[in-house]
Amino acid sequence: MTRQALSTSALHADRIAKSFGGLKVFNDVSFTVPAGGLLGVIGPNGAGKTTMINIFTGRLSLTSGQVMLGETRIDGRSTFENALMGLVRSFQQTAIFNGHSVETNLISALRFSKRDRSVLERLAPLLDQFGLIENWHRNADVMPYGLQKMLGLAMALATQPKMLLLDEPAAGLEKSERVNIDAYVKFAQEEFGCGVLLVEHDMEIIKRLCPSVIVLDGGRLIAEGPPTEVLSRPHVINAYLGGSDEEDSDVTH
Amino acid sequence: MDSFIATGLIGISLGSQYTLLALGFTLIFGILGVVNFAHGGFYVMGGYVAYYCNVILGLPYPVAVMLAMLSMAALGWLFESLILERVIEDHQATLMVTMGFYLVMATAILMIFGAESPQFPFPVTGVWRLGGIYFPYANMIVLGACLAAIVFVYWLVYRTNIGRGMRAMSEDLPVASALGMRTKALFPFAFALATGLAGGTGALVTPILALAPHVGDSVLAFSFLTVILGGLGSVTGATCAAFIVGLIEAYAAVYLGGSKGALTLFALVLIILVVRPQGLLGREVRRS
Amino acid sequence: MSSHDLKPLPAETRSSLLSGHDWIALVFVAMTFLIPVFSTNPQVLSQTNLILIAATAALGVYIMQRLDLMSFAVPSFMAIGGYTVALISMKLHVTDVLILAAAAFLMPALCAIPLGSLILRLKGVYFVLVTFVLTEIVQLLLFEAGPITGGANGLVGMPAVKLFGFELWDNPHVLLTTCGLAVLSFAITSLFTRTFRHEFAAIETNDVLAESLGLAAWKYKAMAFSIAAGVSGLAGFALVNMLMTAHPSSFAPMSSVNYITYTIVGGKASILGTLIGALLLVSATDYFALSGEMSPGLFGLLIIIVTLVARGGVVGVVSGLLYRLVGKTTPLNTGETGHAAQEHANQKEGRP
Ligand SMILES: Nc1ncnc2c1ncn2[C@@H]1O[C@H](COP(=O)(O)OP(=O)(O)O)[C@@H](O)[C@H]1O
Ligand SMILES: [Mg+2]
Repeated sequence: MTRQALSTSALHADRIAKSFGGLKVFNDVSFTVPAGGLLGVIGPNGAGKTTMINIFTGRLSLTSGQVMLGETRIDGRSTFENALMGLVRSFQQTAIFNGHSVETNLISALRFSKRDRSVLERLAPLLDQFGLIENWHRNADVMPYGLQKMLGLAMALATQPKMLLLDEPAAGLEKSERVNIDAYVKFAQEEFGCGVLLVEHDMEIIKRLCPSVIVLDGGRLIAEGPPTEVLSRPHVINAYLGGSDEEDSDVTH
Repeated sequence: MDSFIATGLIGISLGSQYTLLALGFTLIFGILGVVNFAHGGFYVMGGYVAYYCNVILGLPYPVAVMLAMLSMAALGWLFESLILERVIEDHQATLMVTMGFYLVMATAILMIFGAESPQFPFPVTGVWRLGGIYFPYANMIVLGACLAAIVFVYWLVYRTNIGRGMRAMSEDLPVASALGMRTKALFPFAFALATGLAGGTGALVTPILALAPHVGDSVLAFSFLTVILGGLGSVTGATCAAFIVGLIEAYAAVYLGGSKGALTLFALVLIILVVRPQGLLGREVRRS
Repeated sequence: MSSHDLKPLPAETRSSLLSGHDWIALVFVAMTFLIPVFSTNPQVLSQTNLILIAATAALGVYIMQRLDLMSFAVPSFMAIGGYTVALISMKLHVTDVLILAAAAFLMPALCAIPLGSLILRLKGVYFVLVTFVLTEIVQLLLFEAGPITGGANGLVGMPAVKLFGFELWDNPHVLLTTCGLAVLSFAITSLFTRTFRHEFAAIETNDVLAESLGLAAWKYKAMAFSIAAGVSGLAGFALVNMLMTAHPSSFAPMSSVNYITYTIVGGKASILGTLIGALLLVSATDYFALSGEMSPGLFGLLIIIVTLVARGGVVGVVSGLLYRLVGKTTPLNTGETGHAAQEHANQKEGRP
């Protein structure tokens, strides 16, 4: 992929707001994920992180504001159009085609994104590291949760996206499996030149990977900057302590 | 002008009947997530139970209506807890079993009572007139009973704990169960309530309209029309749509004749589907 | 990155386009061409005719089942196909069977496109409701549009169809026409559903995921709806050709329930199920001399029983039994998912 192509694929959210009926999820949020860059997103449960990804991919409509991928305005377009343009997401829960083998799942991802098998060859080292090659012919939905989650991530990457939106990729993984996420994100950036928006609760991962994070809370973007610095700001700590227990444990270790 | 008003009255009483059917239908969908293909069957069977009690056994008509309602509620309860409950998670399976049950009900009626329409006259005859406006007493009584039943359903849904539970469930099932509502326990109750309403409507209405084993087909089609128009799962939407359907049908029958009324309705539904797919009062199609 | 050698990507698993079930069904349907050679018994001929028409019509249900959608629309599209053929042959005096078959397929398929784009945007439940209402609309239109459709009388006295100028007029010939239409329909259906099997399977199991990977789900849904309509139209052609009449009662709204029953009771997972369902249920209706009165009740009971205790229908149960007997993947299986399916079964038995 040339530099030229990369520069046209930055993801830019411009003063976006979303409400469901009377419920305001967030308001006046702006940020940019540079082409090939990496931006972390943190915030307590219910802050609207998943909703934001749903808006970027076109599953939900925006209440106001706009979203640009490179030069193209993408909010309000259909999910598959955005995916074919290179904006692809992963899901917070496992999302695979149940009842089909690992191979069929990956082949489907290739077919739907109009890629050929060579992408799979390039992904092979990663697939091997995750343990997916060992399970190549296994029915995907009887595999352990961690493997299913990694399969979902591998499928997103198999579409060779320009911009990956990862919704809590480490959620539900064992501590020992979490290094896979590091490998995955690095691989996506270095081998495929993807930009990555990483929504994650695991602060260790965020600190290891992200040069920069944004913090969402109470419907606003409350902080932005390098993770260690941002996480030491008092109002960010407050936002987390006000959240549920789950995030407390994540932020303290 | 007089005939215009008289036709309007007929339309309103038709509307109130459709409301009872559509309310039951939409409650079942809202609460159980099930499209009840057997709904028309409960209506017809209610009519036959009332006919049997009133004409064959000689019980008073109001008693016959009550018995029709109770027996259909009981049958609905049994069907829900013995059959539907076992496949409730699989939307296609719920379709199949309710459809299968409808076929069984219709065939059972046919075998017991035969294909001929029985003589089941409304016990009250006579016509109320004011100037040039005519309105049969039978329709008036049915209208009154239906309106009372509609008020009862609204009271139940909006003013009681059971209703609050039901509404919470139709809005968000996981949240309702998280709040500790006994979700599953409400299923047979809601189903029985709806089928009881359908049976009662059948008992009240078939003497005026028609009683025959197959009338459930068109009742089902009209229930579908009503809920598509009103928005699936919306109680108020179903009520409004049912009155719209009733009025259009009544006026079209008088001023257009034949089955033009039904065609007008279909055209209306098609337009609604184009401009407002979620129905008049349905919420934005939820995607989670 | 790791100490052990990299595992290479396993070789691509190739699977044939048509599965075992598709071939069996096709061969089975094609063999009915031989029936007129061996038998002139009018009873046998008409029974075979009815079974083939029922199976062809039920293919419309089978196709929509690939997307997990329940379609009641079959009689509507049969009517469009059947009336189109009747009109062309009676008013335009075109009786060539190939032209008529093309018209019987294309007319409903084209009508289905705007309709499909309208209702396939909606949730699955709405699709069911709308297709149900659609059959009622078409029925009414057939009665109301008297000048074109002949109203309650229908269109009576269709001329016999011709193949390359040769008139197909007597009973065996009519059966041959039906066989031809059935083979064509089964071929179209299996080629279509198998060509896009990945797409359909993905939309059926997780359409949200499929779209987020770039699949335009609505296109495939609209295409399936259109092809299903076309195949139903061919069944409508076969029906009016057999009766020499296009009449509203041949396309009664509740007949959609029969076609659904054939597919579900036979086994909705494979095309063979639709064929076997039609074969068994049409024969049973005839064998028990069930008049129109009783068979709906029987069908209803069967639907409930299959749904409660034997989801796979007849074909599912039989191939389950074969699988146990042989103790390995049956040759009928597609091979492609055989491995996964086997493991699924093992897991289920291992951990109840
Ligand atoms: N489809 C929807 N309809 C109504 N409310 C929704 C919907 N999706 C999410 N919400 C609400 O929006 C808020 C944000 O949810 P979400 O984006 O899932 O948060 P996060 O991913 O940050 O935990 C929550 O309060 C949730 O209840
Ligand atoms: Mg989330």
